[in-house]
Amino acid sequence: MAHFDTEYQRLEASYSDSPPGEENLLMHVPEGSKSQWHHIENLDLFFQRVYNLHQKNGFTCMLLGEIFELVQLLFVVAFTVFLANCVDYDILFANKFVNHTDSSKVTLPDAILPMEVCSAHIRDNAFVIFVLIISGVFWLHRFVKLIYNVCCYWEIRSFYINALKMTMSELPYASWQEVQARIIEIQKEHQICIHKKELSELDIYHRILRFKNYMVAMVNKSLLPVRFSLPALGECVFYTRGLKYNFELIFFWGPGSLFENEWSLKPEYKRGGNRLELADRLASRILWIGVANLLLCPVILVWQILYAFFSYTEVIKREPGSLGARCWSLYGRCYLRHFNELDHELMSRLSKGYKAASKYMNCFLSPLLTVVAKNVAFFAGSLLAVLIALTIYDEDVLAVEHVLSSITLLGVCITVCRSFIPDKHMVFCPEQLLRVILAHIHYMPDHWQGNAHRYETRDQFSQLFQYKAVFILEELLSPVVTPIILIFCLRRKSLEIIDFFRNFTVEVVGVGDTCSFAQMDIRQHGHPAWMSAGKTEASIYQQAEDGKTELSLMHFAITNPHWQPPRETTHFISQLKERVHREAAGAPSDTHPLSLSESEPRSLVADLLTGPSTLAPVHFACDLSLTNNTAAGVNSGAAALRSLSPVSSSLNLRGSLSAAHRVGGLTGKTMTGSGTDARTVSSGSSAWEGQLTSLVLSEYASTEMSIHALYMHELHKQQARGEPSRHTWHRQESDESSDSIPDEVRSEPSARSRSFPRSHTFPAAAPSPSAIPSSASSSAAMDQEGAASQSSSGLRRHSGPVADHVGAGGKVVRTARVPMGGWAEDAKAASRHHDPLPEETSEDELPPHIHKVT
Amino acid sequence: MNCRSEVLEVTVEARQVEEAMLALLHTILLHRSTGKFHYKKEGTYSIGTVGTQDIDCDFIDFSFVRVTSEELDRVIRKAVSEFKDALSNSGSDGVGQISLEFYQKKKSRWPFSDECIPWEVWSIKVNVVNLANEQERQICREKVGEKLGEKVINVVEVINRHEYLPKMPTQSEVDNVFDTSLKDVQPYLYKITYQITDSLGTSVSTTMRRLIKDTLAL
Repeated sequence: MAHFDTEYQRLEASYSDSPPGEENLLMHVPEGSKSQWHHIENLDLFFQRVYNLHQKNGFTCMLLGEIFELVQLLFVVAFTVFLANCVDYDILFANKFVNHTDSSKVTLPDAILPMEVCSAHIRDNAFVIFVLIISGVFWLHRFVKLIYNVCCYWEIRSFYINALKMTMSELPYASWQEVQARIIEIQKEHQICIHKKELSELDIYHRILRFKNYMVAMVNKSLLPVRFSLPALGECVFYTRGLKYNFELIFFWGPGSLFENEWSLKPEYKRGGNRLELADRLASRILWIGVANLLLCPVILVWQILYAFFSYTEVIKREPGSLGARCWSLYGRCYLRHFNELDHELMSRLSKGYKAASKYMNCFLSPLLTVVAKNVAFFAGSLLAVLIALTIYDEDVLAVEHVLSSITLLGVCITVCRSFIPDKHMVFCPEQLLRVILAHIHYMPDHWQGNAHRYETRDQFSQLFQYKAVFILEELLSPVVTPIILIFCLRRKSLEIIDFFRNFTVEVVGVGDTCSFAQMDIRQHGHPAWMSAGKTEASIYQQAEDGKTELSLMHFAITNPHWQPPRETTHFISQLKERVHREAAGAPSDTHPLSLSESEPRSLVADLLTGPSTLAPVHFACDLSLTNNTAAGVNSGAAALRSLSPVSSSLNLRGSLSAAHRVGGLTGKTMTGSGTDARTVSSGSSAWEGQLTSLVLSEYASTEMSIHALYMHELHKQQARGEPSRHTWHRQESDESSDSIPDEVRSEPSARSRSFPRSHTFPAAAPSPSAIPSSASSSAAMDQEGAASQSSSGLRRHSGPVADHVGAGGKVVRTARVPMGGWAEDAKAASRHHDPLPEETSEDELPPHIHKVT
Repeated sequence: MNCRSEVLEVTVEARQVEEAMLALLHTILLHRSTGKFHYKKEGTYSIGTVGTQDIDCDFIDFSFVRVTSEELDRVIRKAVSEFKDALSNSGSDGVGQISLEFYQKKKSRWPFSDECIPWEVWSIKVNVVNLANEQERQICREKVGEKLGEKVINVVEVINRHEYLPKMPTQSEVDNVFDTSLKDVQPYLYKITYQITDSLGTSVSTTMRRLIKDTLAL
């Protein structure tokens, strides 16, 4: 046959358009879709689920947790109904006697009503049936949700295992930053997002936090009606989960909401043309939703109770007594949240501040209550003692009616009273506590500083940090109050809301519509009073309040060191970092504008690094440094930081790499600065950053962020004071200006007040330097710190252009700082832990699972 | 949405709608079609050829290139004429939008149906104008021709960008990426939908679906 072969061949099929001689054609190898993870449709949801699964420590944990919750719910409802309807309490209380032939003892089954009686009871009671129906619906809802979630998260699980190459067992021990890095890595291979070749950290954050960023921005710009001034209660904040749910329903996903889908705002809301009409439409929608809320009020109430029960039984089990304690309010969480801050980051930050915050709140015990409580406790205690003594003598006393219950009641009474009696060894120094809190929470209104001891400040702080009981009460009130707020307050703001979404929504390629604040662009949203002067082009309307843009930017850059921000932003970050490091190192930089206040941030740095447990040496060192200053005029902080050097060396020994580097670096710099030691200069401020694994880094990132936050607040404060003399505050200019100040002025004692909070003048409202010392504040603090003030008065060497005006008020507040952290017990603790951790909170204040989202 | 979207806008006379739409849709599809795949045993394949032909328009001074495939043309023509009818029946100001969506199928496990995930959407917004006299029509004829030419260049520019395309599938998966029902050509899976008037509100069903999904989400 072979010799008959020609080029002519029969066509194989009539429809085949491939020419003959296929062996000469190009052959292709299909890549195939080896993974199913390319090109995911809804990346928002996908990333959220990936994050959730990480936060819930893997699939099995999540599944088990949810199943147990369902079982619990069933149990609780059934048991409550049983207790209410099927128990004959007369028998239990022995009001009625049972006739037993065999024994006289009452057994538990005797007290249980027979089945028929029981069901009749239930059937007769309409309320019970109502509750049962609602809980049935609730349970079914949870059940369907569970099934649905299992299906969805199974897919995420296989994504973790197949694409990210992480097993579920190692997931709880992997940080989110690691997971994120892997996602970014696999994007190159799988193209889960098709718009871009590479994903950035910011893209992922934007998608996970799209709506949360909007909420944070709206709270930041005071758009949401959550603050009310009530006639009797004064100004108060009401922001509950029910309200939050309604806000989200209205803005983001409910029927007819502003958003078309998860990632894009409806186009008509992006155009300014018919804003009035859109506002009208929004207002009527809010009205309808408000009315619906009002109608569904009883159902929501029962729902809320069930929900609260389930959210809190878990908490109470985990940390008993937490009901009496405080918690960060929902409003506080919104107010304190950075843009682009994930839940676990926020929670760990707030948990770190928890201890200091509750100490701060505990400072403000009313003396009147204390006196009353002491006496009540005395009488109750005597009664209790007698009863107990009698019981010990003869236990038949217990059998007397109500003796056991009165013992219990008296015990409770004493416990309550004790909480109103302050610890004998406590010292009242709120200003420092507030600084420590600020180091963790990062945001604080300007007028708090310097007014920390005032009741107003405390009241305002309690809006952020409320009693848990109040929180639950508010939640229970919420079904009634929410419709009122919606109908009467939110509706009026509809035009502002429309404008807000139009003005502050940007479309980012590969992400969709996001809140423009979340871009953290200081040029667009920077606040001139927060270090972005000269860089920002924002109008007042566009500026984020409280330095949110700047602080968020720093926070994001620090938590995600691999993130590559736009060029201008990089410049801002590196500049700020450098300044902070220089400041922290305390090099005697005369050219630096902040040399004015350098002792302050530096000692704060020291405080942060050592934690309260080493406060004693720091205090000592501070005092020492003060004397040094008068004597030799050397760098005051050098001594303070020198006291840290044993810490750093011990850490070095323990191999705690980064902390040691950091502390060592700082100490080393200081020492070279003061010319005593050049031991650890090698570890530059940025050198350690690169070497660290992401995990280690993320642990120390919070400390670094704390330093930055304090520093920025410090700068902001100075700037707010310098405002009258110079409207915009340029760094270079102030360099010169501070240089030009004669030395005599620098050594003015009042100078140090510059670094310290002024009295009750509001910097925003009245930025004049006429910070008249409030005699009230000075005397209050004087009393507390009389001796200390003597030792430290007149020791600071630096000053500023406006320092002279501040005088005594500043001095007094300054002296309150001397004990640093302020609590006698802390000093005691120092002796216990001789080997302190660089992070003050790492051992005691953080629960083991800091990545939990509640 | 995780997909690219491109918007083209044209203003035409009523009788030009069909041709203008055909021109644009065919242009896009020309670049989004391949020859038939012939799979070999070793997991390789060869690609058949695709013929092209020039089409001249009757009502517009314009010719465009399309894939020589009667079947494909029939499908497109059907969709376009439906759109045209709907547009003329709507009676309103004659604003409509036809979109060509390229998607991928993703096999899901049992409780869910197969997902169709779009990766590129072309929306063509059409504005129909009424012209008074023949002279204007003549001008319009040329104008629309020029405009369409620009649009075609636009399309080519977009397609030339180095952007995401579904990966070439193996034999078993070819149906998830390509429309293999045609005999002579094999475009990426596509869907043509149209929408009359400018109502941009989402339909009730999508809202309901979202509502349910959101309640179910954690």
